[in-house]
Amino acid sequence: MLQVLLSGLAIGSIYGLVGMGFAIAFYVTRVINFAEGQLLMVGVMVAAWIARTGVNPWLAVVLGIAAAAAVGAVTYLVAVRPVLAFDRFSFAWLVSTLGVALILENGAALIWGPTSRSFPSLLAGTSVHVGGATLTVQELMTICVALGAAAAFELYRRRTLLGKLGMAIAHDPEMATAIGANTVMVAASAFALAGAFAGLAGVLIGPITYSNPYLGDTYGIAGFVALMIGGTARPVAAMFGGLLLGVLGEAANKLINTQASDWFPFVVVVVILLALPEGLLSLVNPSRRLLRRRGSRASPAGAPG
Amino acid sequence: MRPRLPRAWRPALFFLALGAYAVFAYWAAHGSLYIQGLVLVAAVFGMLAVSLDMVAGMAGLYSLGHAGLFALGAYATTLLYNDRHWNLFVILPVCLVGVGAVGLVLGAISLRVSGLYFAITTFVFTLVLTVFASDLKFTGGYGGLIGPIFPEFPTWLQWAGQSVIWACLVALLLATLIVLAIRSSPLYPVLLAIRDAEPFAAAAGAPTAAVRIGLFGLSALIAGGAGWMFAFQGIVSPSQFSWQVSVNILVMVILGGINTTIGPILGAAFVTIFPAQVNINPFWQEVLFGALFVGVIVVFPGGFIGLVRLVARQIARRIGGAAATAPVAEDGQPGIVDTAVVAAIAHAGVVDVADNGGLSATHAIECRGIVFRYGNGPRVLNDVDFSVRKGTIHGLIGPNGSGKSTLVDLISGRLHPDAGTIEIDGARLEREGVRTRVRHGVARTFQSAVLVHELSAQQNVQVGLYTRVPRLAGRSLAWPALPSAWRDGRRLRESVDDALSFVGASDWGRVRVADAPHGIAQLTQLAAACAWGPRTLILDEPLAGLAPGEVEHAASIFAKLKASGVSIVVIEHQPRFVFALCDEVTVLAAGEVVASGPAAAVRRNDQVREVYLGQ
Repeated sequence: MLQVLLSGLAIGSIYGLVGMGFAIAFYVTRVINFAEGQLLMVGVMVAAWIARTGVNPWLAVVLGIAAAAAVGAVTYLVAVRPVLAFDRFSFAWLVSTLGVALILENGAALIWGPTSRSFPSLLAGTSVHVGGATLTVQELMTICVALGAAAAFELYRRRTLLGKLGMAIAHDPEMATAIGANTVMVAASAFALAGAFAGLAGVLIGPITYSNPYLGDTYGIAGFVALMIGGTARPVAAMFGGLLLGVLGEAANKLINTQASDWFPFVVVVVILLALPEGLLSLVNPSRRLLRRRGSRASPAGAPG
Repeated sequence: MRPRLPRAWRPALFFLALGAYAVFAYWAAHGSLYIQGLVLVAAVFGMLAVSLDMVAGMAGLYSLGHAGLFALGAYATTLLYNDRHWNLFVILPVCLVGVGAVGLVLGAISLRVSGLYFAITTFVFTLVLTVFASDLKFTGGYGGLIGPIFPEFPTWLQWAGQSVIWACLVALLLATLIVLAIRSSPLYPVLLAIRDAEPFAAAAGAPTAAVRIGLFGLSALIAGGAGWMFAFQGIVSPSQFSWQVSVNILVMVILGGINTTIGPILGAAFVTIFPAQVNINPFWQEVLFGALFVGVIVVFPGGFIGLVRLVARQIARRIGGAAATAPVAEDGQPGIVDTAVVAAIAHAGVVDVADNGGLSATHAIECRGIVFRYGNGPRVLNDVDFSVRKGTIHGLIGPNGSGKSTLVDLISGRLHPDAGTIEIDGARLEREGVRTRVRHGVARTFQSAVLVHELSAQQNVQVGLYTRVPRLAGRSLAWPALPSAWRDGRRLRESVDDALSFVGASDWGRVRVADAPHGIAQLTQLAAACAWGPRTLILDEPLAGLAPGEVEHAASIFAKLKASGVSIVVIEHQPRFVFALCDEVTVLAAGEVVASGPAAAVRRNDQVREVYLGQ
């Protein structure tokens, strides 16, 4: 049982990081970057490529994350901003970010070939025993780094001016511009940060999956589902969504059958969504939830005047 | 304004397009197997894109469930044919109704909370369906099932070519015609209102939730039909219906042009034919494909049809020179409103009810002991009594946050009081919804003009007339073909023109609300609220932001309404208008009634003078 929990947490923290990547970009711009999974792939591929040239693997990993962040920012500037500038409420970004995903995935296949290549193993082989369960040091590090990143982000969002500015821009970009915020810069930074989260997930999972241009699909979906479980109110919720998804998937594999991880987590998600349409974390503060639900019956036009 | 074809040309153009389509179908039905395969898949995805655009474009419901609904149709057809040996043309209606019903259930579940969570629930629906299709035995697992073969034409029709091509192109045509019919019907502005200005549609008496769910059911039905068609393409396997397919359908819609009839079909044709026709290195091809997505959408956010419209508009401008422009707004001179003039207008020719002596027993609105709080918050309204006598203009004033709009929401049925009673025309209605209030003759407008900005003033007024067109939702599916619809349409246009000329905005009828000045938007709202002949009219800050000339104009409209027996509640911030306009006034402060009674008496009330008028 403990083994299931720990393995689930390890893979779930990867899902959670990608999910947070989705959530951070969404949080500021109300855009779901469908190339988020491909940013994970960019992180893995670039790190592997640099490491192959003989550079220190730790430096390669950092450069991989930086590359994912840079591609994230470019995605915003090239594919998202022009679309939002035309109509802030249109869904046209869906097409343009999917276009970016196609370009990244197949571009990577063109450059590095469509097959799996090696990835530097940073903490090879060693494992630790917790209770009756075994966990590789790589997995342990994955959990710690993911939780650390999630906590750091949440602190940053709440405590710094830039974090609050992100909230303001999400709420009303025109107003945020009026108070002098550089909305383009903040949004591009959010996309870069979202890319860094995906890149981080990539270099953490890289030693297990090796580098492969099609990694983005698998982890993109998982991250997207993590976002949906957590809800979009707070990016950190996507981390919880990812952890839950990971544990449920592991549990389904162990307790039902090896195919059950394909469907079991989603059935749970459906049940959760039916019960709590605003995501699982809306349970955390029931009174606030109740208030919001009652309040939402009144439209903005019907707000107390 | 979008360049419009003269009405008389439209049937001719329609039949011309139909003829060209038939020629294309004939050509495709005699084409090579490769062409036929391509046309079949493009037509099926065309149907899916049309059905998705129906909900995404017209109702703002970005469904990711269409691949799942599509899968249901395809699997049901294949399984019923292979295992039960049903006739394919018995399967078709079963498939349409069945998938439509699934759509209704899915819609009813997921539309409780709309927006992103709708997308999420429908996404999970597709995901779970494809996972089950992959894992279950009777669906053939990952390998899938071999689909049925479409029956050939009988000998006397053999000249027409391959039957399945005709079938799929006719199916696509039917789906498109349904969308065209809805678009040309008076339901279309109502749908856009539900999408963009939900409170407005609800206040007009439209059952917004039911319309949304019904539209989603119809869309699901078409997707089920596409699934039936798709079964004839050869193999039915889970990978053809993954959630990415749902996203792809959405891509087709947006790429072609969302909320356009033809756009989604163009998008579907492009997305299905491009990869098959471009024969280069597959990776380069995909990169090019992605670059096209980005390029098209970034340069033309409106998609292919957006581009076509842009070009058409430019050509029209080149040819017509200065085309029909919007009428010039008659801005009132800046200055101070002469309240005496307003008062004279408002009370002209009408016996002042306040002088009529004694309380009339009949009230248009009677609220007793209203208590209301948002959630667990403080009491926004605390034991409020509010009554409006029939045939009067009743002012409701109070500072920001005093609870005026909340009280109006309670009266119009958007909110329900925690305690207290609300009677409208003598009927107890505090537990009833907006539609029941509409049936009891209550109309309202909103602060800051809640309207559909991309539609003309005329179309917005049509939304207000929703309850005046019987069985609109059902008839809209075949609107242009129904003689009764032609008759109703004509009557509707007359009512719209009457309403607009009543408020004095006839010149602006064909102008998009987005392009009209604020005063015209306010008048359009008023026209939409008056158009169906309400007995009680609630106006939430109808004078906000109006120029002095416009205030006088509004006052004359209120006077005309009052003369025709309508009881009016006017919410206003600015006391000077209210005392000039209204027969009676209620002053609200911090959720309690400070004073209520004839305007002159309230004005003399010391507390009101002190607290509110600052005198």
